[in-house]
Amino acid sequence: MRRFNKKSVALASALTITAIIGAGCMGEAQPKSQQFTAAASSELNNHPTIDGGVYHPIMNGKTGPYYVNEDTLKGDFRIGREPTKNEIAAWDKDVMPDGTGLPEGEGSVEDGEEIYETKCVSCHGDFGSGGGGYPALSKGNAYDLQKTLTNQRTNPDADGPVRVFGSYWPQASTLFWYIRDAMPHTRSKTLTNDEVYALVAYILNINEMEIDGEEVDEEYVLTRDKFLKIKMPNEDGFEPKIQGEHALENVRTYYKNPKNFGAIKLKDPKERCMTNCQKQTAKVVYIQNGGISDFHPPLSSARTLPGEKAMPTNIAQTRYEENCAACHNLDAGMGAPEVGDKQAWANTLAKGLDKVYANGINGINVMPPKGGTTLSDKDFKAVVDYMIEKSK
Amino acid sequence: MSNKTSQDDNIELSQRRNFFKRTAALGATALAGTSLLASQKDDPAIMHHVPWGQKWGDPVTKNLYGVPSKYEHNVTRRYTKLLASGNYRASIAVTPIHELKGIITPNGLFFSRSHGGIAHVDPQEYRLMIHGLVEKPIVLTLDQLKRYPSVTRVHFIECPANGGQEWRAPQYNSLQFSKGFMSCAEWTGVYIKTILKDLGLKPEAKWMLSEGSDNSEMGRTIPIDKVLDDAMIVWAQNGEALRPEQGYPVRLLLPGWEGNLCVKWLKRLEFASEPWFCKEETSKYTALKPNGKAVQHFYANEVNSTVTSPSPEIPWTDLEDGQLVEIEGLAWSGMGTITGVDLSFDGGKTYVEAKLKGLVLPKAWTRWSYMHRYKKGERLLLTSRARDDAGYIQPTVDEETSVMGVESVYHRNAVETWEVTPEGKVNHVQVRTPGGVKNA
Ligand code: HEC
Ligand code: HEC
Repeated sequence: MRRFNKKSVALASALTITAIIGAGCMGEAQPKSQQFTAAASSELNNHPTIDGGVYHPIMNGKTGPYYVNEDTLKGDFRIGREPTKNEIAAWDKDVMPDGTGLPEGEGSVEDGEEIYETKCVSCHGDFGSGGGGYPALSKGNAYDLQKTLTNQRTNPDADGPVRVFGSYWPQASTLFWYIRDAMPHTRSKTLTNDEVYALVAYILNINEMEIDGEEVDEEYVLTRDKFLKIKMPNEDGFEPKIQGEHALENVRTYYKNPKNFGAIKLKDPKERCMTNCQKQTAKVVYIQNGGISDFHPPLSSARTLPGEKAMPTNIAQTRYEENCAACHNLDAGMGAPEVGDKQAWANTLAKGLDKVYANGINGINVMPPKGGTTLSDKDFKAVVDYMIEKSK
Repeated sequence: MSNKTSQDDNIELSQRRNFFKRTAALGATALAGTSLLASQKDDPAIMHHVPWGQKWGDPVTKNLYGVPSKYEHNVTRRYTKLLASGNYRASIAVTPIHELKGIITPNGLFFSRSHGGIAHVDPQEYRLMIHGLVEKPIVLTLDQLKRYPSVTRVHFIECPANGGQEWRAPQYNSLQFSKGFMSCAEWTGVYIKTILKDLGLKPEAKWMLSEGSDNSEMGRTIPIDKVLDDAMIVWAQNGEALRPEQGYPVRLLLPGWEGNLCVKWLKRLEFASEPWFCKEETSKYTALKPNGKAVQHFYANEVNSTVTSPSPEIPWTDLEDGQLVEIEGLAWSGMGTITGVDLSFDGGKTYVEAKLKGLVLPKAWTRWSYMHRYKKGERLLLTSRARDDAGYIQPTVDEETSVMGVESVYHRNAVETWEVTPEGKVNHVQVRTPGGVKNA
């Protein structure tokens, strides 16, 4: 590390902190090894940095402590090719708040409920209630929930605030985009645009929301035009403002003020507190009721060898337990034919064993292709055989 | 049985004699505090040939990609159900930072977080598209991308929910779970600004969407300031290809910023004049404050630190009275370079200055250390507090919660405390006003 270069400090910014610090409390300057060559500036092109941090301009062939070959920054590489229009269209599927990317289509609450019941309910619960670690899609009337949020936020003893779609999300475009790209979680990108419209309509319905003054009731049919009129109750619940002409200035100004985000900034590190630094009311707070300790594998720093693992007697059984049990065990409640449920398997098998294999391999509704594994067709079928055997 | 005992006694006697012969030469002062040795038996690990010393080792042909010693089997990532959305496909496995040395995380231990499972991308079919408000959009294959001139940087990546379950009170008696949602590696890739030189960014471009090709099509919006500063597209981690868990073959790296922004399995960058609103920057990764507003686009992980030795996992129960022991820790800041760390023995009432160790790099883990003369039976409250060259210093728990409340989930960087009990056990505690302090 080279020593701090005075000239580059001047070039950087008045706010650069040279880190020759600690003199106040230790009665001596820090040793040279703790000085920093980092030529850091809290300004970038004459405006504050966007994150409240420092920026490392390239100076004297270096950025911070790293050497840079500045010849690499001149461009004219002549690498790659231009994408075709079709290629861009195939990948540019995002949906923006102003409707950019939102396709034509329509879907009713009624259809949405039906799709939800086959493709979503197993994880997101009845009427989007969530549970088992899966997010809730609704907790009731979005407008009422939104009103009570402030109370929940200010009272730390209450249950956490309800941050679900209706009460919290700033934009509806996110919902359409996310469902089409990422849901159902086990088999994403399998829904048609109309199906997504229907699911969005259903989710608006269970959040008891309105569009343009009209309640999204059981008869509602959502179209692109209507979608664009959705106004989310908590749209203004976020800071800094990131839309509009002055967005970047807003963000930079926001992070320039540490009070906005709970940070503490010192003009001079010598100012920092070295004695009496806790509030009088502060106490030692311990973990309650053992805290969270459901760790896998359990905590251990032992360097002894583990005992021999018993060889699995039945490889198909092992594979079942590792990959399928979470959804297929009795009472897993995922809507899968459960192992041990004779009737369910009889119904499943009514379509013929080959069809059942094929559905398992290709996936169907919430069932991910091959149960989310990379088993060969043969090995996968052996697991299915095991499940059938156990359900006779 | 009795035979054996008398034999052992004889050995012990002769040992003691030898010991006194040896120590007599050292003088009386050297004996103080070593009286235990007098009754000690010879260590069989020294007295016997060890099995691996008398046996052919493995041929070099074995393990052509090396694996850790089988004795290190407990040094792994770990997971818990609480941190999983139902299945372990939208979940996290955290880094055993209590076992790590230095500032580089081995690739197999780098924390693993995904929203739709870990994707396995075929590098032959990998494409990166950059389009939107640029004069010349571009498609690159992996080989073409790697033809750009590369830069190599050491940076940590931290999930902004690191410590996020502990806003109300400590929850994990574990360093791995309370601070292990982060890791630090040496990354190699290309600055996005280098590529943009050829594409011609239009002046209206203010935001960049970065999108992954995984099951969740992970997306995030990035302001142009970062793109033109140090944002990188990376394909190597600690000298080798990225691991699948880190986005093989290509991820975004925004030094110092939320791990979630460093989109993995990167597929597409689009430039626009207005921001997107991705699921992970609205529903999640927004920090709700008591005033009813949530901080969105909360980019940098603020200055932070932790004591890594001792830890709840590796306590001080083996220390002898009077032993000189190193208290060690990590400090990091996504806003700049660590400039110093203070250490408190009384839970943050009074501080002394600790020493930094080794390389001190911007937006990278930094090691710090303090030598302590251990007194058997002492109870300590070890609290570390770091500061950086952007001027920030870690807040107390009360200071942070007075602004952010306890519902933020993300970006908690208040000082953390270990209680060392008189038995040398280590407990995770917090020093704070019970019930919280009202808005300052
Ligand atoms: C196999 C379980 C599963 C199924 C089936 C499923 N989801 Fe999800 N869903 C999840 C998980 C897990 C998440 C959280 C992902 C994350 O953490 O990034 C999620 C998140 C969501 C979210 C975002 C919630 C929020 O507040 O952030 C929406 C909306 C959603 N799913 C809609 C749907 C719809 C509509 C369907 C049916 C077409 C569906 N999901 C089917 C598991 C599932
Ligand atoms: C994420 C949950 C989940 C996992 C994991 C899972 N399944 Fe399924 N599986 C389902 C659901 C739900 C269905 C019912 C699908 C339907 O008909 O709507 C199903 C259906 C099936 C069927 C019947 C297909 C048919 O024709 O109706 C087979 C066979 C099957 N799964 C095998 C497996 C095997 C083998 C594994 C493990 C390798 C596995 N599943 C893992 C959820 C799962």
